[in-house]
Amino acid sequence: MNKAKPRPLSTLSLIVLHETRILVRDRTLPLVCCVLALMVGYGLFVGLSQATLRDRMVDQVLKHEQETQAANASTLRTVLAGKTALIPFSNPANPAAMAGTLSGRYATMANAPLAALAIGQSDMMPNYYRISYMSKVQFMYDTEIENPWNLLSGHFDLAFVIVFVLPLLVTTLSYNLLSAEREHGTLRMLCSQPLSMATLLSGKIIVRALALMAVVIPLPLIVLLLIHPGARGTEQLVLMLSWSALVAAYVLFWFAVAALINAIGLSSSTNALIMVATWTFFVLILPVTMNLVVGLISPAPSRTELASRTRVATAESLREFEDLYSADYRYASDPEALLVKDERIEVPSRMRAFFLSKQKVDEQVEPVLKRFDEQLLQQQKLVDRLSLLSPAILVNEALTSIAGTDARRFLAFKDQTEAFHNTWRQYFSPRILESRAMTLEDLSSLPRWHWIEMQASETRWIVWWRTALMLVLASAIGGLALARSSRGSAGF
Amino acid sequence: MFAIIAAKDLRELARDGRLLWAGGLIVILMLVALAAGWNRQVQLNSERMAGQALDYDAWLHQGHRHPHDAAEQGMHVFKPEPPLSVFDPGIGPFVGSTVWLQAHRQSEVKFRPAQDATGLQRFGELSPAWLLQVLLPLLIIVIGFNSVSGERERGTLRQLLSLGVPARSLLLGKAAALASCVGLLIAPVGLAFAVLVVARLPAAERFDVVYRIAWLVAGYGFYLGIFMFLTLAVSALVRSSRAALVLLLGFWVAATLIAPRTASEATNLLYPTPSRLDFDNHLTRDLADAGRKAWSAHFGTQTPWDPSIPLSKWGAALKVDDEAGYGALDENFGRLWDTFERQQRAQEWVGLVAPVVALRGFSMGMAGTDFSQHRDFSTAAELQRRKIQDIVSEDLIEHADRLNNAHFTYKAGPELWARVPRFNYEPPPVSFALSHHWTSLALLAVMFCLSAALAQYALSRR
Repeated sequence: MNKAKPRPLSTLSLIVLHETRILVRDRTLPLVCCVLALMVGYGLFVGLSQATLRDRMVDQVLKHEQETQAANASTLRTVLAGKTALIPFSNPANPAAMAGTLSGRYATMANAPLAALAIGQSDMMPNYYRISYMSKVQFMYDTEIENPWNLLSGHFDLAFVIVFVLPLLVTTLSYNLLSAEREHGTLRMLCSQPLSMATLLSGKIIVRALALMAVVIPLPLIVLLLIHPGARGTEQLVLMLSWSALVAAYVLFWFAVAALINAIGLSSSTNALIMVATWTFFVLILPVTMNLVVGLISPAPSRTELASRTRVATAESLREFEDLYSADYRYASDPEALLVKDERIEVPSRMRAFFLSKQKVDEQVEPVLKRFDEQLLQQQKLVDRLSLLSPAILVNEALTSIAGTDARRFLAFKDQTEAFHNTWRQYFSPRILESRAMTLEDLSSLPRWHWIEMQASETRWIVWWRTALMLVLASAIGGLALARSSRGSAGF
Repeated sequence: MFAIIAAKDLRELARDGRLLWAGGLIVILMLVALAAGWNRQVQLNSERMAGQALDYDAWLHQGHRHPHDAAEQGMHVFKPEPPLSVFDPGIGPFVGSTVWLQAHRQSEVKFRPAQDATGLQRFGELSPAWLLQVLLPLLIIVIGFNSVSGERERGTLRQLLSLGVPARSLLLGKAAALASCVGLLIAPVGLAFAVLVVARLPAAERFDVVYRIAWLVAGYGFYLGIFMFLTLAVSALVRSSRAALVLLLGFWVAATLIAPRTASEATNLLYPTPSRLDFDNHLTRDLADAGRKAWSAHFGTQTPWDPSIPLSKWGAALKVDDEAGYGALDENFGRLWDTFERQQRAQEWVGLVAPVVALRGFSMGMAGTDFSQHRDFSTAAELQRRKIQDIVSEDLIEHADRLNNAHFTYKAGPELWARVPRFNYEPPPVSFALSHHWTSLALLAVMFCLSAALAQYALSRR
């Protein structure tokens, strides 16, 4: 039997079996897997609760919208029947009131089906805007309420577990793959067997990698499929597949790094030090430094300047519509003036002035606002390029893309909201200027908001090239490690 | 005796590559962070000062206008960056800096820098404070994990003990060596920075900043001391260097990375933050209730702006309406901000196992970039808004209320605008920050003593 030529595959399976037995018996692997499962479970719980929170918000907003519309319609009926004369701001027949305080229209963006996988920017960026004729500066900067301290700490979500913690667990399992054998004196014995170092290393890694992946990949996906019917479509299944591939590639990358460090042949402590240094550099230092670099290379325009521009534009519009602002105001003493006659209504000139001046301010400020968005896109492009330097950034970007909580999607939402806001104003502009009263048909044909989801192909592209890159990196480093270990320098 | 031990350890560390590489990287990062932060701060502060001056100037010279329309243009006020924000930007990236004070409703501090940044912002901000809080403990662990266990493994510990070296000297020597390594790395940069910051300030503000720096030194001293003694204790207690390293690294990961996140998730469950929608709805309802009460008390009408109120009473009505709202605003915003502060205070207890949580709050507080000081600014801005509003309403009562339907033809002039004072915000003194954060410092001090005692016990057992 000793004389038979060693078959690499069967040796590999032997090593895998043996390694599994050892790891299970000395309880490292079960312990690490339990820790991972706990963290994945907790991360998923946090992600789910945040996603539910946002789902509920969108539901509430839509309900609120319907209620306001019903209320407006019933008030309008009584107004048209001449039963009530109201103060100007709360008369739905008045187009300026409908465009503003009574609007009750919202732009909303529902969660992507896999939102629970990563919180990303969703705790900071709003997922709904209240639409009225207000200026963009007034309503586009309402952010979601969250304790800034918590924003600073970050969430314990699944993306954090994968990007930050998973590599550390890989380190725990594999910093002493070969060095421990050497320190126990068993490496010499193994070398005397018909067994290449490369096979030994791969066998050891296969067990560990499979165990970690078996915990981290199926657990969240199964939970999502079970409790979230929206996650069962083909599109979502493809996304889940790409998510699994991405996570697997990231795990393999860190194992490849561990293999390479082990192949150099240093002591266990040194290996652990090098692994932690590598992790600190790629996961902690590089992203933080890159954040600084992005801000330096492509800085956001000055918000102070925006504020000054807003002030100047507001002052100008106040001057321009001064006559309207200071016209006589007789609606308090003469409510009859607000009644609808021949489908016409007198829009109080002050309200007309509000509408016009907000529109004017936006015209003035919009170029500046555009610059902010463009700059942010520019920064995002820079991040895409810089992410080649750190696997942590690469994976984090892809994870948030899959979850639909990345900056890109929120920017698209903002963009579409701005366009809708303009449509909203254009709808009311002729009515206000020509004093046309709102009719019941008008109320049901107000501009409607439709969120146009980002191109699935774009997300797919973002995710797959990153996954491919991770795999290439992992196999290059892994190949290097195997080549180096089989040269035999690892042994002694 | 302990000086000899320290000198020997120091020499060893200097010859070892770990300190050189890791320490060098930290110093470089620190310089980069300081330079970038300094640059940003100078730019922001000059921009904001100029912006606010221009804004007030425009307010004064807005010509003749109906006072209510002047309140429509309102006033922008900007939060000044405290001098030490270069060292610790704190919650800065996640809170705004600009308030547009307009009529009718409390506006929030807007324009969070994080909104103008990419998702990378969420990895953290490269600041000296981050380096000291996260990376320096790692450095201490990396250079100190084998300082006792290494001696044992090489057999030199026995020799030392056989010479009759007392445990206390051994501990002091080892600690002095570690401390001087860390000190050599950060003291020159820190001292230079402190001198620069203080020198650039007007004399009146210097004392406050010097106090703040002194308290920061104390806080960080305790914090790094905790890690130092803990490293020595583990190194002495555990069988091998390898085990000491793994244990310490595990503690570092759990305490500096995982604990802050878990703590904020947990306190969120304990004291839930309302959603924007809930908050807005609640506020609107409270404002409406308060308004209704005030209107019926003053004018006998059920609804605000009831048609039965003649236009000649609008100045008075505005005043009643605004003042009725103040209570509701104070209560709602106060409740929200109390929730934030309660969440943070609850997290301080996590500082018992993860010192970084306690230190982070303390450091922000001393740097002037924590929530309580942000809240102080928000409150000052809101008071300024109310001041404008009150002045405007008073003037309307005096002048426009006699004009009946021509109410809005009334135009006030520069004398009225000049009655609104310039917004001069004085950031609260160090005593304010201390009153909010002394518990964190006390916690750090207690943990420092505990870890020193643990190290003493561990070394005397050998």
